[in-house]
Amino acid sequence: MTPRRRKVPWGLRLAPYLFLLPNMAIFAVFTIYPAINGVNISLYESPNGRVFRWVGLGNYESILTSSEFWQVARQTVTYAVAYVLISLVLATFVAVLVNQQRRGQAFFRASLFVPVLVSPVVVGLVFGWILQRQGGLLNEFLALFGVDPVPWLVDGTWAMVSIILVGVWTQLGFYMLILLAGLQAIDPTLYEAAGMDGATGWQQFWGITLPLLKPSALVVLILGTIHGFQAFDFIWTLTGGGPVGATTLIVQYIYENGFISPIRYGTAAAGGVILFFVVFTLTIINWALSRGKDDE
Amino acid sequence: MFRRNITRFSALLAVGALALGSACAPGETIEEPDDTDNGTQAPAEPPAVEEGQFAGETLNYLYFTDGPDEQATRDLIADFEAEYDVTVELEILAYADLISSLNARLSGGNAPDVVRLTGLGEFAADLLPLEDYLGAEFADEFLEGPMMAVRNNADQMIAVPSDLTMNGPLVNLEMFEEAGVELPPTDDPWTWDEMLAAAHEVQEATGSSYAFAMDKSGHRVATVLAQYGTALLNDDGWALDKEAAVRALQPLIDMMADDTMPRDFWLGSGSRYEGANEIFLASDTPIYLSGSWQVGQFVENATFDWGVAPNPCDVECGGFPGGKFMAALSASDNPALAAEFVRFMNSTENQEHFASVSGNLPTRVDLAEAGVSYPAEAQAAMDVFIADLNRTAEVGFVANAQPAFGASGTALTGQLDMVVAGQKDLATAMDDLQPEVEGIVEEMGSW
Repeated sequence: MTPRRRKVPWGLRLAPYLFLLPNMAIFAVFTIYPAINGVNISLYESPNGRVFRWVGLGNYESILTSSEFWQVARQTVTYAVAYVLISLVLATFVAVLVNQQRRGQAFFRASLFVPVLVSPVVVGLVFGWILQRQGGLLNEFLALFGVDPVPWLVDGTWAMVSIILVGVWTQLGFYMLILLAGLQAIDPTLYEAAGMDGATGWQQFWGITLPLLKPSALVVLILGTIHGFQAFDFIWTLTGGGPVGATTLIVQYIYENGFISPIRYGTAAAGGVILFFVVFTLTIINWALSRGKDDE
Repeated sequence: MFRRNITRFSALLAVGALALGSACAPGETIEEPDDTDNGTQAPAEPPAVEEGQFAGETLNYLYFTDGPDEQATRDLIADFEAEYDVTVELEILAYADLISSLNARLSGGNAPDVVRLTGLGEFAADLLPLEDYLGAEFADEFLEGPMMAVRNNADQMIAVPSDLTMNGPLVNLEMFEEAGVELPPTDDPWTWDEMLAAAHEVQEATGSSYAFAMDKSGHRVATVLAQYGTALLNDDGWALDKEAAVRALQPLIDMMADDTMPRDFWLGSGSRYEGANEIFLASDTPIYLSGSWQVGQFVENATFDWGVAPNPCDVECGGFPGGKFMAALSASDNPALAAEFVRFMNSTENQEHFASVSGNLPTRVDLAEAGVSYPAEAQAAMDVFIADLNRTAEVGFVANAQPAFGASGTALTGQLDMVVAGQKDLATAMDDLQPEVEGIVEEMGSW
């Protein structure tokens, strides 16, 4: 006989929602409403946000038939994929290294996290100086080994490499912390047992660490994908999307439509909606794939 | 069950809000461009302002600052408040927020009384025709060139060109002296060929990194075009003489190709505006094509003797204008007070004070003729700019007055990017620029 559930008073059931209400109200006003309004604006043309002309899906049509958009989309995918893969591999590597430190772990954790706290604008400016072809710190260093000056910011391919590496540098500490927390949650007795069974360090890493780190890696994967597709601020100050548009990503495309003359709020809003659906879809796919493998 | 109901309710609410939001226009909607000409005849004489007419009233002035102008503005506001017994609320915004804030305030029915702007195009319909309050002859107090930018389609004066800038070459006098190269006198400008030859001579003699630098800006490139007698735009739209443009710009492209003009600086800034002032301040170039707004900061920061040379001539002489405008809003609660404030701030005495402190050029006819007293260390430089102002060609003023000028200038630098990167030649770039600019003009004209 199952115990009879006590009926919870109506007021008590409502209480959690009332507690959430203030926060949700702010969220609704400052996030949900602008998001909905963004979808709405994407159906109009507007040069100033005051006067609107209905165009239906015209903005989406003009974006999706624009060669400039597809160039920007290709560059965004290139950036995001490289950024996520490099971030994931490097952050895992660094997290494992930091986790193995017996002394000074807090120092390494803090040191690696510092770039996350630096303003993206400052990151862009500082790396702008470091990566200058003539007189830049990196090229001066490479010259010591006889390497010719590398056009980090003035050649399209090198500029893409530069923004990927700078992007990875800015968020590596954040991803490392997530993975480090995952590593520290792994039961050490598993390693002891594997050691007693004669497993080598690599075997332990592949057989224990990586599988048990998967939930944390999934978080990094999802956050990295979102960060990758939303990258803008440090790139704007580092390369301005150049040279010749080679590092212009989707958010800069949206920004330039929305805030640089000729202002096209509708096109910018439509770009934002497209970006939302791409990131949302990728997040769902990441989540579903990971969950599917867990279920096997 | 309760939780499921709440979840369903929330989902329905969200879908409903989305549908409702999509069903409502996000603002005022229009079907067709409004071409209504509502021009009326302004009175020749301004309505008299009686003593105490505005006493006790408050005026809101939406402002952005370049630095030194703020104190000058505050000084003049204090005088206005004392003279008219009113309160002026000076609201200073970052320039980046000015346009969006003004748009938001206009759509929210909370318009400021007076605003400082860099362009009038998108607000033309919101600005107060000043001649109705200040008289038809008020316009005659200002230079014809800057006035071209402040007339709407009905030929009404909707703003005052409150401060003027002039593009021109700043020079490192110590490098010229070291190289033994003479600068031309203010009243006898050099040609482009002479200026570039001098730049190369100084570079060779001093070993500087570059011979010549200029800001990455469509506005600055337009200076060179104007001196070769052409411009991107005129009142009818696209106006560029492509052959003249190629003749004007090819030397710059060639200099970037052989690195006597900083190529990395041009390409490395992407679609952003980028000032080359650091290159000049580091003595890496003897000549820097920029403008009069640099004078104040060079007085403060330059560690060498510098000066301003007259703009080079080809078909035309003089520089290229820029500047800011002061306008009253039609939606102001007290348009008469707003118009009077604009007049007061731009009277001879007050504009001279503002120009002197802020380092801008005057827009008043009397001040342009008589000159302005600037701080001693800036006087010589500003005098050259004023001389160039008086010989600047109309083609520049007309181009700068077009609402699509800024966006067209950005398109121009975008095309030049591709030329500098070796992706196309200059003639092709100018051909490709035409449909781009025509599209921008058509798009902006449709509102």
